[in-house]
Amino acid sequence: MYDPANGVDGQVRDVCIEGDRIVADLPANAPRLDARGMIVMPGGVDIHAHIAGSSVNQGRRLLPEEHVADPVPAPRLADGAPARSGTGGTIPSTFTTGYRYAGLGYTTVMEAAVAPLAARQAHAELDDTPIIDAGCFVLLGNDDYLLRQLAGGESTHAREYAAWLLGVTRAYAIKIVNPGGVARWKTGGAERNVSGIDDPVGSSSVTPRKILEALAGAANALELPHPVHIHCNNLGQPGNVATTLATMRALAGQRAHFTHLQFHSYGGERGKGWTSAARDVIEHVNAHPEVSVDVGQVMFGPATTVTADGPVEYLLHASTGRKWVNLDIELETGCGIVPYSYKETAAVAALQWAVGLELFLLARDPWRVVLSTDHPNGGSFLSYPRLIRLLMDRAYRDEQLKRVNQKMLAGSALRDGLAREYTLSEIAVVTRAGPARLLGLKSKGHLGPGADADVTIYANDPDRAQMFATPRHVIKGGAVVVEDGQLRRAPAGRRLVVRPEYDPAITRDLRRFFDDYACVEFANYGAEPVA
Amino acid sequence: MSPAARTVEHVTCLGCGCACDDITVVVKQDRIAETRNACALGTVWFGDGQIPQDARVNGRPTSLEQALGEAARTLEAAKRPLVYLAADLSCEAQREAVALSDRLSAMLDSLTGAAAAGVLAAQRRGRAGATLGEIRQRADVIVFWGVDPAERYPRFAARYAVEPRGLATPRGRASRTVIAVDVGAGRGPADADARVAIAVGDEVDALGVMRATVQGRVASDEARFRGSPELARRMSEGRYVTLVADGEPGAAPGDPDRAEALVTLAQALNGPTRCALVVLRGGGNRSGADAVVTWQTGFPFAVDFAPGFPTYRPHAGAAALLATGEIDAALVIGSPASIPEPLLRGLAGLPSVAIGPRASTATFQPAVAVDTGVAGIHEGGMAFRMDDVPLPLRPPLAGPPTAAGALRALRERLGA
Repeated sequence: MYDPANGVDGQVRDVCIEGDRIVADLPANAPRLDARGMIVMPGGVDIHAHIAGSSVNQGRRLLPEEHVADPVPAPRLADGAPARSGTGGTIPSTFTTGYRYAGLGYTTVMEAAVAPLAARQAHAELDDTPIIDAGCFVLLGNDDYLLRQLAGGESTHAREYAAWLLGVTRAYAIKIVNPGGVARWKTGGAERNVSGIDDPVGSSSVTPRKILEALAGAANALELPHPVHIHCNNLGQPGNVATTLATMRALAGQRAHFTHLQFHSYGGERGKGWTSAARDVIEHVNAHPEVSVDVGQVMFGPATTVTADGPVEYLLHASTGRKWVNLDIELETGCGIVPYSYKETAAVAALQWAVGLELFLLARDPWRVVLSTDHPNGGSFLSYPRLIRLLMDRAYRDEQLKRVNQKMLAGSALRDGLAREYTLSEIAVVTRAGPARLLGLKSKGHLGPGADADVTIYANDPDRAQMFATPRHVIKGGAVVVEDGQLRRAPAGRRLVVRPEYDPAITRDLRRFFDDYACVEFANYGAEPVA
Repeated sequence: MSPAARTVEHVTCLGCGCACDDITVVVKQDRIAETRNACALGTVWFGDGQIPQDARVNGRPTSLEQALGEAARTLEAAKRPLVYLAADLSCEAQREAVALSDRLSAMLDSLTGAAAAGVLAAQRRGRAGATLGEIRQRADVIVFWGVDPAERYPRFAARYAVEPRGLATPRGRASRTVIAVDVGAGRGPADADARVAIAVGDEVDALGVMRATVQGRVASDEARFRGSPELARRMSEGRYVTLVADGEPGAAPGDPDRAEALVTLAQALNGPTRCALVVLRGGGNRSGADAVVTWQTGFPFAVDFAPGFPTYRPHAGAAALLATGEIDAALVIGSPASIPEPLLRGLAGLPSVAIGPRASTATFQPAVAVDTGVAGIHEGGMAFRMDDVPLPLRPPLAGPPTAAGALRALRERLGA
C-alpha cells in the first residue's frame, strides 16, 4: 500500500470497505479481494482537465476525424447493465471519458474551465460522464461586472460576487485565465492582449495584478477549499518567466495555485529564441509554501489546445495554419481551440517537454507539484502512464531525451543531466494525495478510515507505464468498477460543489447590471434547477 | 384546481433560435392568454397551449402502456431503424433519444441535416464566433449577408444585434453601422446604412475577393466584384465586426463553398480587427440536439450506430437513407410539423413510432403515436439558444406525458 497521507510507504496492509467508505476493520468473514503482490493506492485525482462544457464540446464538434479514428463500442458490464458506446481521440465523448478515466484508475476529475453562462451545460455533460466524481472551476477575471467594480474602486464586492457566482454555477473553485488579456482581446482595437501584469485594461485601475489580488483575496477570505487556480498572462511566450514570477510575487503570502506551469516557464525573447526557465520558476515554488502548481506536461503526439485564452489561440492558428475556433462569451470570457501535435523533431515542442520534466524533477515538495498534462492541451490523460515512467525511470527518460530536437536545450537542466527518479510514494503524492489535499478534498486521496472507498490496485509491473496504464482493479465509492482489467460497473459519480455564504445585497447590484447589459434573465442565469 | 389566472415569468420561447428567455406568460383557466415580450412568431409558437393528449396504435386510442409496448416491438423488429430528432424537445428528451439510438444500433439524425453545409464548413475550418450578447456589447459594424433576420428571427435585431445598448455601444443603433449585402433575392434588412449587391453566381468568389483584400493580397478589379473590396476594407476598419448569415436552408440548399467562404472571411478579419460570424439557426431547440448528440457521440448529427458505435454519415443521413428505401422502421421524436417535406414523404408507408407534440396528427400516419408536451410550454429541462448558450425551460402549463418520460419508459422496455 502507498498511502502517503497516512504515512504508508509500501507496507503490506489491508483496506476495509463498508458501503462507500473505508473503515478501520471488518468481521473476519467479510468478502475478500486478494491483492497480494500488487500495488494499492487511493483512486487518482486529476486536478486540471478539460472534459465537459461548452468549450470542450465545441472541441468535440471540431474533430470528427479524430472520433472516426477512435470508435469505442459500449463496454460489457456485469449483470447486463446498459452501457454506452462513444468515440475517443483527444476529446472523447462523455461516456467514453468516464469509462477511460476509470479504466486508468482515476476516480476524481476537476473540469478546469467553465464559463458561468454555460455552467448548465458543463453539469449536464458531467451527468453523462459516468463513474468519476467531478467538480468545475468557474471562470472569473475577464468578466465585465468584476472589471467595472474594480474600475470604480470597489474591489470589496469581489468577495460577495465570487461567493454568489460559485453557488449559482455549482462550481468548486475560481479559475482565472489570462486576467485582463481576454477582455482586451474582446474589446478590439490595437491592444489584443496584455503583456505584463500592470497593463491597464480599459482603465488604469484595472490591471491583471489588481484582478488577481481581488480574486485571490476573495477566495482566501471565503476560505474556499481550493485557492484561485491561475493560468497566467503570456502563456506560451518566450521570456514569459518574468510574468509568471511577477504574478507569483504579486500574490506572495496568499494561497494560490498556478496551473500548467510548464507553459509559463520559458526564457528567451521573441525573435531571439527560447530557453528553459524551469529552474528559476521551481526555485520560487520551492521557497514559497503557499504556492501550489500543476505541471501541464507536454507529451509527444496529438493534442487539442482548448482554453479561454482567446488571443493565444489566435496566434497558434496564425502561426500553424491549423483550423481554429474562437468564441467570445458575452460579458465573461472566451474560448479558443486549435488542434495541435507535439513532435520530437520540433525544437519548441522538445523544449516544452524538457521544461515540464525539469519542473517535476527539480521540485522539492511533491505535495505542491501535481501531475497534469492540462488534458487535452499538452496531451491526453491517457498519456499519464508514460509520463509516470519518464519520472520514475531515468534510463528511459534519457533515451527519450536523445531522440528529441536539441536545438533549444542549451542550458536546460534536463540536458545537463537530472538523475532523480520518482518513487512510487512520490507518484502516489503527485497523482492522488497531493491534488486531493490541494483541493481540500478531505475524503479523497488517502486510504484512512472515513475516506471515500476509491481504491486503485495495480500489478507490480517493472514497466511502470504498462503498470499505470492497466490497473487490475478499481474501486469507486465501494463499487468494484474495474475487475481484472475489465470495466464491469459504471455507477454515476457525484458533483463536488461549494456554496459559500454571501451578502444578498450583491444580487441587487447584479440585477441592475443584468438589466442594463445582459441577454439572459438574471433568474435564468447559472446552473441551478429552476422551479 | 388551478387558479383563474397566473403569471409565469422568465419563460424561454423556442419559436426560433433567438430563444428569448424574457417572456412573461399569462395563463387563464389552463390556457395561455398572453405572451408578453414575445414576437408574432413566438406568440404563434406558444399558441394557447392546448394540445392533444392521446396515445394511439394504428390510429386507435389506447393506453400509454400499450402504445409503448407496441413501439418497443416495432423498433426491436427493425433491422435498419432511423431515430429522428424533430423540434420542440428538451435536452433531457434528446439525451434519451441518443440512448435509444445506441441500443437500437440506429441511424440518428435531426433537423440539422438540412443545415449541414454550415456545420460541415465549421468542422473543416473552425469558426470565429461569439455569443449573441457579445454582439450586443461590442459590434460597431454589422454586415447582414443575404438575410433580414426580421422574417424568421424577429427579435434578433432588438435583443442582440442592432438596437440594444451595450458596454461598447452606448448609443445602441447609433453606435453601429449596419451594412446589408443583397445576394440575389436574399436581401438584408431595409434599415441599413449601406447596401452592396452581389449576384448569386458571384457570391463565393466575392467572399474570396473580400478575404484576399483583408489579408492584403491582390484582389480583383473585375466589375462583377465591384463593392466587395471596399466592403472588406470597411469591415477591416471596424472595431468589432459581425457577419450575420442564415444557417437554415432557404430556397436553395446550403452551398458548402459558400459556408466555408463565410467562415474563412470572418476568421481572416481577426487579423486586422476582431470579427464574429453569427449563423442564424431555427427554433425548437435544434441547437440543443447538436450539443447533446455531440457530447454523447462525438458527432453533431447523422450518427449511424449500425456498427455498434457512433459513425458519422453527414451525406447519408435520414434524407438519403429514406430516399433509397434503406430504413425499415422509424422512431420520430418531436413535433412532426417541423419535419422537412422530403422526409415526411419517406416516412409515409414505413412502420413508425412518433413521440412528441401532436404526434397523433402526424401526416405520415405512424403505427404508434404518443402525444407529449412541448418543451418550454409543458415540459421543463434545458434548451440551447442558436449561439449554443444553454437556458432553463419554465413551462407555464402542465400537459401530457413528457417526451423525456415517455422515452425513458421506452428505454426501460428495451433494456437500454
